[in-house]
Amino acid sequence: MRDKEPHAVIRFDQVSKRYEGGHEALSQLSFEVAAGEMAFVTGHSGAGKSTLLKLIALIERPSHGQIVVEGQSLAKVGRGGIPKLRRRLGMVFQDHRLLMDRTVFANVELPLTIGGIAPAERSRRVRAALEKVGLLAYERQLPDSLSTGEQQRVGIARAIVARPAVLIADEPTGNLDPQLAVEIMGLFAEFQDIGTTVLVASHDLPLIKRMHKRVVVLDHGRLVADIPGEEVL
Amino acid sequence: MSAPAMTEKAAPRSERSQARRFAGWREHHGWSAAASLRRLGGRPLGTLMTVAVLGLALALPLAFYLLLANLQSMGNALGQNPAVSVFLKTDQAGAQANLLAGELRGRADVAAVTVKTPQQGLDELATLQGFSGAVHALDDANPLPWVLVVQPRTGLDAAAVDKLVESLRGERAVDLVQDSSQWRQRLDALLDVGHRAVLVLAGLLALAALLVVGNTVRTDIASRSEEIGVLMLLGASRAFVRRPYLYAGIWYGLFGGVLASLLAMAIELALAGPAAELDRVYGGRLMLGALPWWLLLAVPLAAAVLGWVGARLVSAWQLRKAA
Repeated sequence: MRDKEPHAVIRFDQVSKRYEGGHEALSQLSFEVAAGEMAFVTGHSGAGKSTLLKLIALIERPSHGQIVVEGQSLAKVGRGGIPKLRRRLGMVFQDHRLLMDRTVFANVELPLTIGGIAPAERSRRVRAALEKVGLLAYERQLPDSLSTGEQQRVGIARAIVARPAVLIADEPTGNLDPQLAVEIMGLFAEFQDIGTTVLVASHDLPLIKRMHKRVVVLDHGRLVADIPGEEVL
Repeated sequence: MSAPAMTEKAAPRSERSQARRFAGWREHHGWSAAASLRRLGGRPLGTLMTVAVLGLALALPLAFYLLLANLQSMGNALGQNPAVSVFLKTDQAGAQANLLAGELRGRADVAAVTVKTPQQGLDELATLQGFSGAVHALDDANPLPWVLVVQPRTGLDAAAVDKLVESLRGERAVDLVQDSSQWRQRLDALLDVGHRAVLVLAGLLALAALLVVGNTVRTDIASRSEEIGVLMLLGASRAFVRRPYLYAGIWYGLFGGVLASLLAMAIELALAGPAAELDRVYGGRLMLGALPWWLLLAVPLAAAVLGWVGARLVSAWQLRKAA
């Protein structure tokens, strides 16, 4: 069950994804992301960025090939194992996906409640996560009362509160102005600094260039470039 | 894997001890129960309508049960000693009546025979409302015959009683034989049909209640599909997502059941006056009763289970679609 390669937290091996109707979103994709690494997946609209993240979170299954996350082959994860896998991932979405009828605190608390963490511990961790994203003062507010950037930061706090080993983000700065986008990317880099593996799908090339992190470039579902961070100019 | 990542993984594992998981599970049950109750309270009109439909649907079989139970009770009280009244011909004297009574007492299918004189018959008639004037008008002429009240042996089936009646009709001194057990047999047969009908009705209405709860929970789930999607993306199991909806089903059922019991009690109360009068007329022999307390308690509990089943079936189907 467990893979022998300890350094690859995410591994794609000849992965293809063809949707019903024949559209091939990913084709023969192979790459790895090491533990504690931060990488961007970029490409034009329809390049396969979101599909790649959906495969990692088992929202979709690959048509061919093998995906390994934290040493576990996703092909061997049955329907009942999906929640368990997702609890080990932190996910950030472009549209935040916050529950608008619950407070900021309750939204961030969700992964811990789902994970069966005791109330006192939950409270401590939620406050730490909110402090990390600079929103501790807003814990009792409803998300509707926050700006788009603040809502995204709530989404990030929710993604990191359960201390996942892997954080994946799908266009997390898509709705933000450039200044806020830089702040959010700075947060992701901070999580990488404490050992979290971070994979961000984004089409914002100027922002990606500023970060000097590894960039995986997709075009029509194929890997066309894999640029190490130090070579990103 | 790097050292920091391993440290990060080790912490959650140690936390997930059995005791903590159980505490978390129990806490989520408490949260689900309270949250579903709040949601029901958040849309009072819709909740009230659903509970009212459930209450009425469940009260109907209870009302029929009450009616049948009392009819049964009346039948039992009035037919405690089924007897065959044997009216002798008017030309028969007391000696013949006593002679026939003696013969009948010797039969294996007869438990007892009481001889009623024409005067006793007249006295009984005079006690009945509206007859006293007619009895006085008779002066000294008594047109009533000697009567033998024959009690068949206990445990005798209907066929054996019929045989006894036929045999009594064959006696030369007998003018008329009235079998009071016949009406009881007819009542029992009618009550059997009634009981079966109540069971069928209760089954159908329970099914209706199940569908009402199921449909309400279905719309509830549909209106919260976005929330459900988020929970599932965050790693919530189906059991976790389903829990508040199951509690909603339980609440609907419980409140519907409580309303049904209250309605049944109100029906009892409304009938109490006329029932007491009926009992008085029959000399307090009818033993009219109320619905047993255990039934009034069992209905809300059974309805809660019904609500849970309805919510369980629908949520399993809905969440399978959402997964």
